Amino acid sequence: MARSTLRNTWTVALHELADSIRSRRAIVLLILYVLGAVAATLLFVKALHEIENQLEKAVGVAEAQRVGGTTSALWKNRQFKEMLTHFVGSSDAATRLLSFTPLALFYGWLSFTFTPLLVMLMSSSRISEEIWSGSVRFVMFRTSRLSWCAGKFAGQALQLLVALLLSALAAWVTGWCRMAFFAPLPNALDLLLFALKAWVYGIAFLGLATGISQAVASPNVATALGFVAMVAVGILSSVAGWVTMQPWRTILDTVDMLLPGGHQMDLWLTDVPHALPGTLFVLCLGAAYALAGYVSFSRRNL
Amino acid sequence: MNCALEFKGVVKTYGSRRALDGLDLAVPRGAIFGLVGSNGAGKTTALAVSVGLLRRDAGTVSLLGEGMFDPERHAGRVTLLPQDSRLPLHARVEDLLWFYGRLQGLSEGTLRESIDEVLEWVHLRDRRRSPVRTLSHGMMRRLTIAQAFLGRPELVLLDEPMSGLDPREAARIRAILKRRHDTQTVVISSHDLHELETLCDAAAFIEAGRLVRQDSMDSLTRRSRRVTYFLEPAGRPLPMAELQQALPGATWEQALEGAELTVKFFDETARAAETNARVLEILLRHGVGVLEIRRGSNLESEYFFATDAHGSSVTPLPPARAATP
Repeated sequence: MARSTLRNTWTVALHELADSIRSRRAIVLLILYVLGAVAATLLFVKALHEIENQLEKAVGVAEAQRVGGTTSALWKNRQFKEMLTHFVGSSDAATRLLSFTPLALFYGWLSFTFTPLLVMLMSSSRISEEIWSGSVRFVMFRTSRLSWCAGKFAGQALQLLVALLLSALAAWVTGWCRMAFFAPLPNALDLLLFALKAWVYGIAFLGLATGISQAVASPNVATALGFVAMVAVGILSSVAGWVTMQPWRTILDTVDMLLPGGHQMDLWLTDVPHALPGTLFVLCLGAAYALAGYVSFSRRNL
Repeated sequence: MNCALEFKGVVKTYGSRRALDGLDLAVPRGAIFGLVGSNGAGKTTALAVSVGLLRRDAGTVSLLGEGMFDPERHAGRVTLLPQDSRLPLHARVEDLLWFYGRLQGLSEGTLRESIDEVLEWVHLRDRRRSPVRTLSHGMMRRLTIAQAFLGRPELVLLDEPMSGLDPREAARIRAILKRRHDTQTVVISSHDLHELETLCDAAAFIEAGRLVRQDSMDSLTRRSRRVTYFLEPAGRPLPMAELQQALPGATWEQALEGAELTVKFFDETARAAETNARVLEILLRHGVGVLEIRRGSNLESEYFFATDAHGSSVTPLPPARAATP
């Protein structure tokens, strides 16, 4: 039983991926990710150059024409590390952050910020579209509802992974072309790491999108609800970070545990005690959101 | 009876409306079986309940004598052509069938052969690499029929399979369906009663979610007990005495001033072909012009009769022939 469920889940996932490519939905997603990464990296390089020039002017040295040199030196500077420690509140965290290249840190911020939005826009109507058009009826007597939904989820997750890896590649190529002091291998490894971290983070939102898509039969309503849910999750996470007054603090801490944002910092870190539970928790959150939608879908008249 | 599909007291409600109201139905294995009913009678709901698309509220449905639909057990053995459902538009014809076949657990070799076979049936082999969105409405309909026969399932449920097909393709599909007899069980829900009459071995009349009547097509249309002769109008007088003498157990009815003659026989051993041979011989010997011979009644009349008796509000117009002066 489990074997055929897994086989069908994989079949549905591959079909979902192929269908996304055929429908050009995946192409649009890839273009958004790649162009977004290229454009943002170009802006980052420009901003970095300006910051470096201002720093060089402030300390009275000649302005460099090539980007990245001053930043590389700054990254190794003890005072800068102390300053960063002051910002993040922990010497360990500052050390870990400085172990990444500046471009990777920027890419990490970029992908953690925009991946949820793109996931909700692209994925929250995938299942509801098929309920709406009735095409789901051609499948439901060939496989179980669970394996179909799991396959849809897996197909979307594969699509997201490809998009993030390509965007990391685009950021790497842009950085390599535009930054003089660019270490290819460390940047490649750090960008790959952040692409994978953003993918894990995106899985939680994919679970939310899939859950909504299973529970709602109208694709337009599902997309709107997906957007509302993403904003609500973002607001709740932000509020959880600001409120200090008890008993709200305790309540919001608990709520924050159930939101992807509550585990974002764990994902940023690389040490196993933080990164592993954070990764597992976020993946479980994605599965839980999707399963909550499945409870509705499993009882739905199709 | 060895049933491919059996409903016992099945109830399905939509809000306060009962779409199926204790439906009982038994479809014999190997039959081409027709489901007849007015709009909203519960035909589509019954088919959807069979394969678990809709959740029933009460009663049991057994498929292939193995209980309720279970995808683990029935995937690939029971298929459905759903009504008003759109195929995924972006997939190519061949890829879509490949996807469905893989979900049914068909091996690559079997699936390849099966795809070739069903696409040949529905005249779509030359469009196998076309995206579904580029097919015409009729072609899409044919593709939905093809998917239902993929992998030679034991039980095929077809909801209005001929709607949207041109006459030539409809005739072709009818011929293919007829060949399924005894190799597969095919349940066809349709409003085209003439089509069902020519295709099916048995049929059920459903009204308001209940079974009104179910029987073999022979019994429903009284094919083995009734022959009607359409005669040349104002022709010679009919040799009724000789006819009554030749078939003493039969009753005779004349209509339209002798232009229509019906013989009904109740003897179980009497055969329509033998009866016809004797009647025809007498009529022709007396110079009566015979224009047309029809076995039995037609399904439409029997459906109207059965559902009227059941209290349906359907009021059929009189048959066109009877209305002709």
